[in-house]
Amino acid sequence: MKVLIADDDALSRRLLQKTLERAGYEVIAVENGRLAADQICHPEGPRLALLDWVMPELDGPSVCREVRRKRGERHVHLILLTSKDSKRDIVSGLESGADDYLVKPFDPDELKARLRSGMRIMELEDTLLEAREEMRYKATHDSLTTLLNRGTILEVLARELTRTQRERSCISILLGDIDHFKVVNDTYGHPIGDEVLREVGHRLLASVRSYDSVGRYGGEEFLLVLNRCEGDRALFRAEQIRNAIGQIPISTSKGALPITLSLGVHASPGFVASTIEDVLSSVDDALYEAKAAGRNCCRLAGFCAGRCLQRRD
Amino acid sequence: MKSLTSLERFLVLPELLDRVENDEDLLAELFALFQEDLPGSRAALRTAIERAELPEIERVAHRLKGMLANLSAKQAASLAAVIESAARAGDTEKIWQTQAVFDPELSAFSAKLDSFMAGVEN
Repeated sequence: MKVLIADDDALSRRLLQKTLERAGYEVIAVENGRLAADQICHPEGPRLALLDWVMPELDGPSVCREVRRKRGERHVHLILLTSKDSKRDIVSGLESGADDYLVKPFDPDELKARLRSGMRIMELEDTLLEAREEMRYKATHDSLTTLLNRGTILEVLARELTRTQRERSCISILLGDIDHFKVVNDTYGHPIGDEVLREVGHRLLASVRSYDSVGRYGGEEFLLVLNRCEGDRALFRAEQIRNAIGQIPISTSKGALPITLSLGVHASPGFVASTIEDVLSSVDDALYEAKAAGRNCCRLAGFCAGRCLQRRD
Repeated sequence: MKSLTSLERFLVLPELLDRVENDEDLLAELFALFQEDLPGSRAALRTAIERAELPEIERVAHRLKGMLANLSAKQAASLAAVIESAARAGDTEKIWQTQAVFDPELSAFSAKLDSFMAGVEN
């Protein structure tokens, strides 16, 4: 664990450094408050700091205030270590954002115990942040395919439609549906169907750019939001995605299965104020056309193809 | 470190040894750092007192207090604390009175440290 020591007194700095290194800490020692604040506010900076009060550039309480204002989500445990020992000083130091207060000269055992206490708080914080991140992931992702779930991909769609209209750019939305998926489930069982869904999800993700989004829209339906992708290009991209699914059979524990995907494509130019309902209805119609045309193909919604071409003319 | 007893008049040895966790090398290093800093700090304090610059007196006295306290030089640290609080209170008479005791105390302590460190080196 890294600990920052900030003290303008070389003797105090050396004493602290040696004490903490002996206790197994990795020590960064600086001689003024400005350097301390810069080090702590760095994203990879130390999360434990011992700060003297009276220092050049920035005093200890000012460092605490700056760190609390600037540092992001991760908590930094700040301890003021000073020979200012009046109750007023202690209250003022803690009010500035320090987590703890130690009076010089320090007792080595007490100092180490206070640092361990700080580490326990940070470990607890890390656990809570991890739990929150796990909950956030579960709330936004489909547990089977790990793609975005329906609610999240619709949120992405709404956000990207607004952005597209604001920037007057173009966005394409693809709705894909695995052909004859019911047959897979009925013939091989649902666990094999799940294997197919996982692999399709994996291939879809591998087929899009890092700034595109893929979500599981329904049982075997997938919604893809392709940013800055115009109508004619969208159809080309949809064909690529269709091939990524259909060209190589999917390996399952019951053998390789030929799986194909039908896709409806909607290109939404920024100069048309499309609602999410319009877009979903349009792309659903296009998917229906692809299914009606014999499956394993892509269809561009007629409305948006016309509007894109009209605009370009 | 038998010869440390020569510093007993100035230092609370059990407390100091506890603080450095009986690390004699570290102790020697701290003494050297103190001796290196002391002339500058003493001169700064004298000048500030002569010019009656109260914030500067408070700052330098505070710094000396911290160094002396780390070395468990309790008496000298207490005198530095008196000067610091007198400066904060604007009590120049008390500053002069205390400085009259503090400066010779620092001289005596520094001289003792010099002979102690020379003994360690020899």
